[in-house]
Amino acid sequence: MSAAKDTRDDGPRIMPFPVALHYEMPAAPAITRYGEALIDGRIIGQRCTGDCGLVYVPPRDYCPIDVIELTAADDVELGDHGTIVNFTVVTPVQYPGQEETEPFARVSIALDGPGGMLQLQDVLDTPVSEVRVGMRVAAVWRPEGERNLDELAAGGWSSTGGGIEGWMPTGEPDLDVSRLAGKGF
Amino acid sequence: MVDVAIVGYGQVPSVRCTEITETQMVLDVTQQALRMAGIDRHDIGFTVSGSCDYLAGQAFAFVQTIEAIGAWPPISESHVEMDGAWAMYEGWTRLQEGDVDLVLVYSHGRSSPGTPWQVWPLQLDPYHLAPLGLDPWSLAALQARALLDAGVASERDFAEVVARNRANAVDNEYAQVSGKFDVDALLAEPYVRNPLRRHDLPPISDGAAAVVLASRDRAAALAERPVWITGIDHRIDIHQPGMRDLTRSESTTRAAQAAGLADRPVQVAELSAPFSPQEVILRDALALDGSVEINPSGGALAANPVMVTGLVRVVEAARQVRERGRDRVLAHATAGQALQQNLVCILEGP
Amino acid sequence: MPAPLVKIDLEFPYTRSVGPVIGAYLDGLQERRLLASRAGDRTLSPPLEYDPATGAAVEPELVEVGPEGVITSWTWVAEPNPNHPLDRPFAFALIRLDGADTAMVHVVDGPESALATGARVRPRWRDERTGYVTDIECFEVTA
Repeated sequence: MSAAKDTRDDGPRIMPFPVALHYEMPAAPAITRYGEALIDGRIIGQRCTGDCGLVYVPPRDYCPIDVIELTAADDVELGDHGTIVNFTVVTPVQYPGQEETEPFARVSIALDGPGGMLQLQDVLDTPVSEVRVGMRVAAVWRPEGERNLDELAAGGWSSTGGGIEGWMPTGEPDLDVSRLAGKGF
Repeated sequence: MVDVAIVGYGQVPSVRCTEITETQMVLDVTQQALRMAGIDRHDIGFTVSGSCDYLAGQAFAFVQTIEAIGAWPPISESHVEMDGAWAMYEGWTRLQEGDVDLVLVYSHGRSSPGTPWQVWPLQLDPYHLAPLGLDPWSLAALQARALLDAGVASERDFAEVVARNRANAVDNEYAQVSGKFDVDALLAEPYVRNPLRRHDLPPISDGAAAVVLASRDRAAALAERPVWITGIDHRIDIHQPGMRDLTRSESTTRAAQAAGLADRPVQVAELSAPFSPQEVILRDALALDGSVEINPSGGALAANPVMVTGLVRVVEAARQVRERGRDRVLAHATAGQALQQNLVCILEGP
Repeated sequence: MPAPLVKIDLEFPYTRSVGPVIGAYLDGLQERRLLASRAGDRTLSPPLEYDPATGAAVEPELVEVGPEGVITSWTWVAEPNPNHPLDRPFAFALIRLDGADTAMVHVVDGPESALATGARVRPRWRDERTGYVTDIECFEVTA
């Protein structure tokens, strides 16, 4: 007979159960068009033809507010200058796979021109304490020959990885963002 | 008990790898179901979906599909990490409260992006089974051999199941694998998991489906031919494959009993049997004789969009009532491996 | 442009506490002993904490079963995948160890012609054992 009690000195047994999963899928047509433009140094979004009239970036070939299909004909070229309308400062937890060690900012940018809001963008060469709502920024594009779509994220979480390195403050006076309310999604 | 009927449904053809997103598929099938029901999305009182994040490779992947059903203004919504048939069970349950009379159910799944041998073992006991990398083909094969050893079925029986389902699928524009196959030619193929051959296994499929449920008065007002859910139940069996009789599906028998299968014979049965031997087990568990037409859609051997397969059986059974004039049909869904968990619902015409 | 491929790689370094029943079982594997749990008059292999048929809690002490057993079902894996315990063709099998009332799943070494329901098998242990179900490298059909 064996006692079911754990008889080890160093506490209850912990069993490792490592899991590694790999997925691959072709990007949807909307993301493919977006990626093509990114390689070309352009940001394209898509304007809803329904009541909301919002501009989505990246395009998704449908509007989640009006619940209608959109098409390539609804694609619209967006500006690569914009205004920070929201941000958070992430204090990195050192979990396995974490590469950051210092606090860093992730910002939401309302793009000039037709509209569109990019999420989770990186502000370059700027102390975290200086990142603020209203700050004017401009995209820093990767050199043409170095752009790639390897980092293109799945689904709708907007990604500019592989095309835009990040955003730099332009030095322009801050914008009063209250005028931008209701323009983003 | 509130009477509930299916008043609308939709599906997309199952494919080996879709070019669009799951959200786009959901937009398509939900719009089909709403259109058939003749209602607007704002009429829906509760929405519930079924899917599995592990198939898509993204935590909370299902949340993105909310964009296809319009969650602004905010809606009442739920999700089960299960086949859409169980989402429908929750939708049916919600209608029993009596305060809501229209429910939208949808389901989506892409098996194409993942690496099956990495994903599937994670469904199993993490101490005794998953570390062995026990894959669904192997588990289904252990079940198949148990059937052969018990003298309950032969390899020819398995091949006949495949031939019939694939032949039925020829007329189903939503099926992925179809055709007229000769049983002896099938039996001449090599084993992939002795005694299973490639055709005894399900295809890898991407797909989606949706159903609109309505309670009594609303259903009668909306549909000329509502498809009444006169019985629905699900039961689960023991997880460890070595601790239950793999040649029988007691949980299916009990679910059918509770759903009232014995009250009157059914004319058609849509069974979720992704592996051919499982259809033999299910026919036996449900005591279906030769008078019952099995899987006119081609079943899960013709298309297996995991997480949608069971809801598709419900849609196909509903089609038999609404489009083909049948009076009483059965739809079956399964979850887990080797028919561990089973749902049975009975659908009837007016 | 053809659709670019979106690639996702997920890694989860899970660790699991095992409790007194599974823990004792894994301790046993590390010591090259096959243990089972008792509930009523049933001996459950592999050991579970509760009898899945009755819901009864198992007795706190595990019992030794095996080391030999009999195959109650099997299948041949001609092309193993990287998650499988062996990198050469092998069989998955349900094995009812001597003294147990239920069967456990494990792998059996070939050749395929030796595999049969009813064949007797014995475990082949790994030299390095850590308290994991693969401390048993495989079972082999006894002569």
